[in-house]
Amino acid sequence: MTSSKITLPERRRLNKLILPLQQGPDLTLGQFLKTVEECCPQTAYAVKLRLHEMADGELKDMEYFFSTLPTPFTAFDSEAYKTSVVGLFMRHMLLAYNKLSFSQVYKLYKSLQHYYHSHYAKPTDGQVCVPTLAADDSDMDLTSTEDTVGDRADKEELDTPLHESELRCDNTPSRGPLSQKQAEYFLARQAYLLKNDENKALRPAALQEELNNMLKFNPDFAEAHYLNYLNSMRVQDIFLSAHSLLHYFDRLILSGNEGKSNGDEGYGRSLRYAALNLASLHCRFGHYQQADLALQEAIRIAQESNDHVCLQHCLSWLYTLEHMKGSESTVLTQDSVKMAAHFCLPYLGSLDIQSLVQQGAMQGKAAHKLMDALKDTEILHWKHSLSELIEISLAQTTSIWRMYGKSTMALQQAQLLLNMSSLEPVNFGVHQNNTEAFAVALCHLAELHAEQGLYSATSEIFQHLKEQFPPHTQHSKLWMLCDLKIQFERHMNNRKYHLAEPLVKAMSALNKTEGLYRKAQVLKALNRSTEAYSILQQLQVHCEKTKCTEIIIRVMLSTAELHWESSSFSTALPLLLQALALARQHHLQSLASEAILHLAFTQLMLGIPEQALNVLHEAMEPILAHGAVIDKGRAMLLAARCHMAVAGFRLKGQGHLGQHSAALAVDGLNEAESYFSRLNCKERLRDVHYLQAQLHRSLGQTARSNKSAMNFRLLDQELQSPAPPVFMQL
Amino acid sequence: MKMAALCSEFGDLAQIKKQLISVISLCKERGLLHSAKWASELAFALDPLPKDNLPPEPAFTEEDAQDLDALTLAKSYFDLKEYDRAAYFLKGCCSQKAYFLYMYSRYLSGEKKKDDETVDSLGPLEKGQVRNEALRELRVELSKKHTARELDGFTLYLYGVVLRKLDLLKEAVEVFVEAIQALPLHWGAWLELSNLITNIEMLKSLSLPDCWIKDFFMAHMYTELQMIKEALQKYQNLIEAGFSKSTYIISQIAVAYHNIRDIDQALALFNELREHDPYRIDNMDTFSNLLYVKSMKPELSYLAHNLVEIDKYRVETCCVIGNYYSLRSQHEKAALYFQRALKLNPRCLGAWTLMGHEYMEMKNTSAAIQAYRHAIEVNKRDYRAWYGLGQTYEILKMPFYCLYYYRKAHQLRPNDSRMLVALGESYEKLSQQVEAKKCYWRAYSVGDVEKMALLKLAKLHEQLNESDDAAQCYMLYIQDIFSCGEQLEHAEVSTALRYLGQYYFKNKHYDEASLCAQRCCDYNDAREEGKALLRQISQVRDQVETPSADLFTPLSNNNTPVRRVSPLNLISFTP
Repeated sequence: MTSSKITLPERRRLNKLILPLQQGPDLTLGQFLKTVEECCPQTAYAVKLRLHEMADGELKDMEYFFSTLPTPFTAFDSEAYKTSVVGLFMRHMLLAYNKLSFSQVYKLYKSLQHYYHSHYAKPTDGQVCVPTLAADDSDMDLTSTEDTVGDRADKEELDTPLHESELRCDNTPSRGPLSQKQAEYFLARQAYLLKNDENKALRPAALQEELNNMLKFNPDFAEAHYLNYLNSMRVQDIFLSAHSLLHYFDRLILSGNEGKSNGDEGYGRSLRYAALNLASLHCRFGHYQQADLALQEAIRIAQESNDHVCLQHCLSWLYTLEHMKGSESTVLTQDSVKMAAHFCLPYLGSLDIQSLVQQGAMQGKAAHKLMDALKDTEILHWKHSLSELIEISLAQTTSIWRMYGKSTMALQQAQLLLNMSSLEPVNFGVHQNNTEAFAVALCHLAELHAEQGLYSATSEIFQHLKEQFPPHTQHSKLWMLCDLKIQFERHMNNRKYHLAEPLVKAMSALNKTEGLYRKAQVLKALNRSTEAYSILQQLQVHCEKTKCTEIIIRVMLSTAELHWESSSFSTALPLLLQALALARQHHLQSLASEAILHLAFTQLMLGIPEQALNVLHEAMEPILAHGAVIDKGRAMLLAARCHMAVAGFRLKGQGHLGQHSAALAVDGLNEAESYFSRLNCKERLRDVHYLQAQLHRSLGQTARSNKSAMNFRLLDQELQSPAPPVFMQL
Repeated sequence: MKMAALCSEFGDLAQIKKQLISVISLCKERGLLHSAKWASELAFALDPLPKDNLPPEPAFTEEDAQDLDALTLAKSYFDLKEYDRAAYFLKGCCSQKAYFLYMYSRYLSGEKKKDDETVDSLGPLEKGQVRNEALRELRVELSKKHTARELDGFTLYLYGVVLRKLDLLKEAVEVFVEAIQALPLHWGAWLELSNLITNIEMLKSLSLPDCWIKDFFMAHMYTELQMIKEALQKYQNLIEAGFSKSTYIISQIAVAYHNIRDIDQALALFNELREHDPYRIDNMDTFSNLLYVKSMKPELSYLAHNLVEIDKYRVETCCVIGNYYSLRSQHEKAALYFQRALKLNPRCLGAWTLMGHEYMEMKNTSAAIQAYRHAIEVNKRDYRAWYGLGQTYEILKMPFYCLYYYRKAHQLRPNDSRMLVALGESYEKLSQQVEAKKCYWRAYSVGDVEKMALLKLAKLHEQLNESDDAAQCYMLYIQDIFSCGEQLEHAEVSTALRYLGQYYFKNKHYDEASLCAQRCCDYNDAREEGKALLRQISQVRDQVETPSADLFTPLSNNNTPVRRVSPLNLISFTP
């Protein structure tokens, strides 16, 4: 404690070190000396010297140390003045020391010696001495003295030959107990990782073993049971997770009754939350009836004891449960928002609003209202720095924009989330967590890229997703489905139905509705209209029940396409109009444009190309602005065909063409060609070339006509499949 | 498995006695007191041998002679619990006996230090972390000798103990089996092995020597594995083979009867045991449990006082006193004594559970939960603790929450009606009538102890307006109550009769209805209603006899009762 000689920056660094040392986990001597050395080599040397003196000396050396300890308390300028942080800590330590009996003092000294010697016993210090909790197979026995005594103690049990023999006959309980602080740190760290970055946490089996080890030595460590519960949830083990959860709360009830200042209140409180947690457990495993019962129980006890906060939590779970069961829960959610606002619970309140927004978006509520609501919650989040909710909110905005068909906005929001640094205090500034929000945003990003035909970028994103969310983790289903969808679309666009078909099964496993819809699409493409039609009917009924508007519209469009195949274009019209109305009502722009495309095609087929062009103009702008490349191509092709029809073009006949319309048609076809070639969509390119050849020929441009014809011929040879009737397809 | 057939060696009791006498002296020389005690008890139960038939002294080798002085000295230190000192003087001795005592002293010294350590540990967290530091060294040394095959029966046993303490259970089992094969007469090794066997398959898979002592072991194992019938059979055979005077066997049979809740048999045996062995303390806690269940206050009080006089610092004594206070409804004191028992032996399972019950009585639910949890920690298969936890949460009005615990208890005792009834009640509170009905019916099917399941089932049917089922259940209930002979709950019988009366009346079985109504009049609380019903019946009958125009039509089909007539709403009648 030669404070006078320490320079100012060193002293500052040392002061900054005090808190981490006091509150952090226990360190080994190597780590400890290293940290101190970084701050002030001089002090580190002094500490080392003093430790050496004590550990290599006798008991009296330690006693001497403690007897000199109180001297700086009275000196005003000392760092260790009795009211300073260090001084308080030292006094604490001294008090604890004075209370020890002789044998305890002796034991303390022994532990100190072990602590010191274990550092030097190992050949390479610094590296081996870092027993990061995960990778430590040495035989450390940390019998810490809590924070009563500043010196951390660990000791190596036995001499080396014995140690080796231990290792040889494996399956010995590998490691000794952890000290309280180490255990707490370990639990907090793992729990945090489980929540935010599961990949970095220990493997479930390893974590389980670690916890078992911990519980063996500290059976009273309730938190370990909770972590056990979380860990079992990871592997979907209902038996063990229920067991651990109940065990945790049994334990918590004890500690709540003993220590907490609120006495009996704390005890009752944990009971309520125990029931609530049980409800959430069953909810997660999909046992809705059980969850309902548990939730009712939690609500009842919470009501009996007037615990509004707990009731509020229950309410949140109630609407979640209702939602999961597939019933209407908007009213409940609204109530929940009101209550949360009333009791000033920002987290719950804004979570409720987010759910409400989600439900609203599904039901086609006015977009500006939803966005307004989200904006309001945003303010709340930043005020209370609820980083988790900020992430969710961004992911949600992305999803909503995507749903509305505004790809640019969606892209921007997704990027915003992905580029945001973590706001969590534990790993502040680290770039990414693997929460659900990130998974959602990444999936959207992948789909957006796929839409633009950037398949290599898409596959890179999936690679990243695979690393971040390995297949066994809970959010992996999201990207799996997304991946399958993209592949499916690609195969369908290339008319490789035999490749698309096996994907349907995989999709049905992940999402039944989606799978069914895709199955109908494949069947339709394979001309198995009757089966496709029955599936579509079934789907429509199902989706009208579950209020899944997007699928309903898609189903209607597909049904209309089936009608085309039987050339009953006029029967398709009412369906398409209905779909259009529905899409507009729910602000689903991309689907609305799709419906318009269908409508225009139908009109073209019905021989009113002028009308078709009028309708098409409406959709052209949004498609070109936000649509996928394939949609752009399809729209341009359709427009060109309309122009050709307006210009009086007949496939066989050589009429006089309207020059203006013909020029527009040529432009349209060229543009469509460029879009399709970007996607490398050969089937469609072939069609375009065919039309180009015809059009040029009828315009008398023989050279260009021949060129297009050659392109057509080349592609036709390559594809080796007979072209389907061009005019029957959109 | 042939349970009836005992080992052929039982023909020659003198031989057995000889073997016992020699093993007693072997154990004594090595300080294995409990095994010596067990063997002595058994030897005492057999007829004394004539002088010339006594077993010869074991052979005295050159090595033994060399170590004799050191051994004698060390043994005396050992007896005085100066284990380190004993070990010091035995170091370097090469005879088997000395080597065993050397290792055993080191082991015990470690254990003793561990116990002392627990008292003044540095912090609360260390409690679970104090270990016997000598174990690892002992293990390494013993494993070296073991691979060199230099261990005799006793040292193998010690090796097994060390392995078990280090939680190396699989290895421990192997070593104990080896120890038993080397020295079958050492009961301690058998006992240690029995602690490690978890199920009958494991028991069958072990290759044990065919010695007469194996029958004792099997009987003990059957008791442990709750295969009481087999155990009783085995013990009966042993008694017939000539061990009728053995207090050990009598106590074991009594414990077995206690386990299957055959209280009277068990009580009789315990009384007999106390006659033979009035200063016995072992198993007396089980005895007191029986007295408690039977509410035999004077006997329990006598037992408690008697035991206090013998030794008041024994776990069993504390448990008995705890039970005594509990029976007198002095629950604080009872809890205090259970706590004392736990201080004496923290791994005493029964005391934790009993303490939980006491806290429950005192309405200190959180302490009760703690106690039960401790009990479960000691033994996961303790159904009483699970059941107790369930009850605690039921008291806290969390019927869904307690389901888990009751289910757990039910898993452990699938044929115990109490858990099933508790489960049923919880389901009923959760309005899960279908599950509740199943539980009650099952409880009745497995043999209802408290005779409550049928009544509850009937009431449930009544609530659900399933009058036929309800009536049937009430009928069964009444039959059940009267067949068991004891008049338990009059009030409930009257409820049943009342319902049946109304039911028959509704269905126009007037004869049966009047019978029920008459029986109702035997009970105070149902007398008025019984009379009212009788009056009603006679009224209707009068009307039948004097047929009036408007009543004639419905009564013309009197003989074919109208099924499924919804009964009166009886909820208002039931107390």
